[in-house]
Amino acid sequence: MNQAPKLLAGIVLGAALSLLGSAAVAQNIRIGWLSSLTGPLSSAALAENQGVQLAVEEINAAGGILGRQIELLTRDTAGDPTKAVNFAQQLAFSDKVDFVIGPVNSGEGLATTPVLAKAGIPTMVIGSIDQLTDAKKYPRAFRVINTNTQWIGSANDYALKTLKRTKVAVIGDTTGYGTSSAKTAQELLDKAGIKPVYNVLIDPNKTDLSDEMAKAKAAGADVVMPWSAATGLLGRLLNARGDMGWDVPVVGHPALMAAQIRALLNKPQYWENTFAAGYVSTTYDESGKLPARTQELVDKMRPRLGGKDIDVLFWWVAMGYDCVKIIEYAVKTAGSTDPAAVQKALENTPRYEGIYATYTWGPDQRNGFPDSNMAVNVANTFKDGSFRMAPR
Amino acid sequence: MWSVLVSGLATGALFAATALVYNVMFSTSKVLSITTGHLAMLGGVFGAWFITGLGLPWIIGLVGAVVVGAAFGWLTDVLAIRRVLARSDEHLWLLSTLALATMVQQAVGLWWGTEPKPFPRLIPQDFGAGITDQKFWLPIAIAVGMALGLELFYRRTMYGKLFLAMSEDAFAARARGVPTDRIRAVSYVIAGALGALAGFAAGQLTFAYFALGLTLTLNGFIALAVGGLGSNVGALIGGAALGLLNAFSSYFVGGEFQQTISVGLLLLVLLLKPEGLLGSKNTRPV
Repeated sequence: MNQAPKLLAGIVLGAALSLLGSAAVAQNIRIGWLSSLTGPLSSAALAENQGVQLAVEEINAAGGILGRQIELLTRDTAGDPTKAVNFAQQLAFSDKVDFVIGPVNSGEGLATTPVLAKAGIPTMVIGSIDQLTDAKKYPRAFRVINTNTQWIGSANDYALKTLKRTKVAVIGDTTGYGTSSAKTAQELLDKAGIKPVYNVLIDPNKTDLSDEMAKAKAAGADVVMPWSAATGLLGRLLNARGDMGWDVPVVGHPALMAAQIRALLNKPQYWENTFAAGYVSTTYDESGKLPARTQELVDKMRPRLGGKDIDVLFWWVAMGYDCVKIIEYAVKTAGSTDPAAVQKALENTPRYEGIYATYTWGPDQRNGFPDSNMAVNVANTFKDGSFRMAPR
Repeated sequence: MWSVLVSGLATGALFAATALVYNVMFSTSKVLSITTGHLAMLGGVFGAWFITGLGLPWIIGLVGAVVVGAAFGWLTDVLAIRRVLARSDEHLWLLSTLALATMVQQAVGLWWGTEPKPFPRLIPQDFGAGITDQKFWLPIAIAVGMALGLELFYRRTMYGKLFLAMSEDAFAARARGVPTDRIRAVSYVIAGALGALAGFAAGQLTFAYFALGLTLTLNGFIALAVGGLGSNVGALIGGAALGLLNAFSSYFVGGEFQQTISVGLLLLVLLLKPEGLLGSKNTRPV
C-alpha cells in the first residue's frame, strides 16, 4: 500500500547508478586514432603509432590528464578514404571521442576533415596538403605536421640559395599529389623569379626515365627537383641519372630518403648528390648529435623498437608522440575537454615545445609547424632514424 | 630518341605478351580474364623472391616463378571459370575473374608489401649499357619467342589443334569427343606459365610490384583489341604500337595525357575496325 519508500529507494538507486555511469564516462579522455596501419603508406603510420602509444602510456602512468586516464581508440583505415570517413563518423557520433588524431594520408584527410569539423571535435591534422586546415571552415582542426608548401619551399631555397642553381627541372607524377605539388613548386619558383627550364608530369609506373632525364639535361638543367611520393619513380629517376653519368644534384620530396630507394638503385653511389626536405629535430649537427629533446625520445623509444638501431624514420615517431602531448597541453590549459575551451587554448599557443617541432597556433593560424624547424638532409645518410644536414 | 623507341618497344612487348596470354585462355573458353595481368605480376614478384629472398640461382627462380604462374592459371580455371561457364552463358566470368584478381593482388600486397622492390640482374652487364640493356631486350625477346612458340604449338601439336578446334566451335569439338574441360584447364595452366615468364623477363623494367597486374590487364587488352582478338601476330603489333604510342606521347605531350591517348587508341580502333588490325570478322554462314 505504502509505495513511497520503495519509490524513493528506486530513485536513489537510479540516481546513484547514473552518477556512477557518468563518472565512469567522465574519467576517461577518449582519443580516436585514425591510422593506416595496413596498406599503402603503412610504414609512416606504424612509426607514428609507436609515438602515440608511448605518449599515452607515459601520461596514463603519471596519473592521466587532470586525473583522467586516456583511452585510445585506434582504427585501421588501410589508407582507404572510404574507410577513414566511416571510422571518423563512428568515432565522432558513436564512440563520442574527445579528440581525433589523423588520418595519416592527405587523401583520407580530405574526406574526414569536414565530418570531424561538423561534429566539432578537436583534431590533430597530420596530412600535409594545404586544404586540410582552414580557421573558418574547420576551426578545431590544428595541423601538427608541416605543410606541403613548406617541404617544397625548403627544397627550393636549398637549390637556389645554397647550391646557387637557377636552371631547374621540375618533375612531378600524374597522381593528384604529384600534380598539385609540381604546380606549387612552379608557383614558388615563379615568386623567386626562376622559370624552370624543364617541367614534366610522369606516370608513376613509367618503366624507364632515361628519356625524361635526357630531355632535362638537353634543356640545360643544373638541378633536378622531383615532387612525387612514389619510390619506384624516384628510384628510376636516380638510376637514369646514374646510368647516363650525369652528376646533377637532385633535391626534392622526403621520399627520396626512404629506405626502399636504396634497394631499387642499380649502384649505391647513385644515391649521392641527392638532398631532400627534412626536419631540424631529426638532423644530426656537425658533431653528430641530435637535438637533446629528440635524443631523449630516441633513448626512451629504442627498447620498444627492438633495442638496436632504429630503422624507421624517427620524425614520424616524434610527430605521433607530439600529437598526444599537445592534447595533454590543450586539456590542461583549457581545464577540461570542452571542445570550445580546447579550441581557445590551442589557438592561443604562442610556442609549444614538442619533440618534432616548436608549434605556434593563433586565432587565424592552424598550421603550427614553423619554417625555421625545416631542414634539408643528405638523402643517403640515414642512421638510427635520422639524417645528416645537407652541406651549407 | 633511341631510348624512347627502345623503352617503348620493351613496354609494348610486355603488353604484347599479356595479349598473347589473353589469346591462349580465350581460345578455349571465350573468356577475357581480368587475372591476365596478375600472372605477370606473380612472375615478377615470385622471381624476385626466389632469387633475392631465398638466394636461389636465377634459373631455379625462373622455373619457380613459372610454376607459381601455372598453378595460379589452373586455380583461375577451377575457381573463376569452370563453374561459371557450366552454369551460365552470361558474362559472369567478368565478375569472378575480377574477384580473384583483386584477392591475389591484396594477398601479394599484404605479404610482399606495397612498395616496389628490386628485381635482380639476370645476365652480367654494366648498368650504363643504355639502349642495349637487358631490361629492354629480355621482354622483347620473350614476347617474340612466345608468339613464335604459340604459332608452332597451334600448327604442329595435337593439343594446339584441339585449342583451335575449341576456338572455332567448342560445342562441335565436344560433340566429336574432345574433352573440352580438360583442354580448357590445360590452356589456363599454359597461360599462367607464359604470363609468369613474361613478368619474370620484364622484372628489371617493372620492378617486383604488387599493383602491376591491373595496369597490364588493361594495356594487354588494348593491345589485343588493336591487334585483333585471336591473332598472335596482331598481339605483337598491337602491343608494340601501344608501347610506342605511350612512350612517344609521354615524351612529346607529357605523362598526364598518356592514359587518355592509350584509351583513345582503343576507342578509335573499336570505331573504325572493331575486329582489330589482324582479327577475323566473326561471320557464321546460315
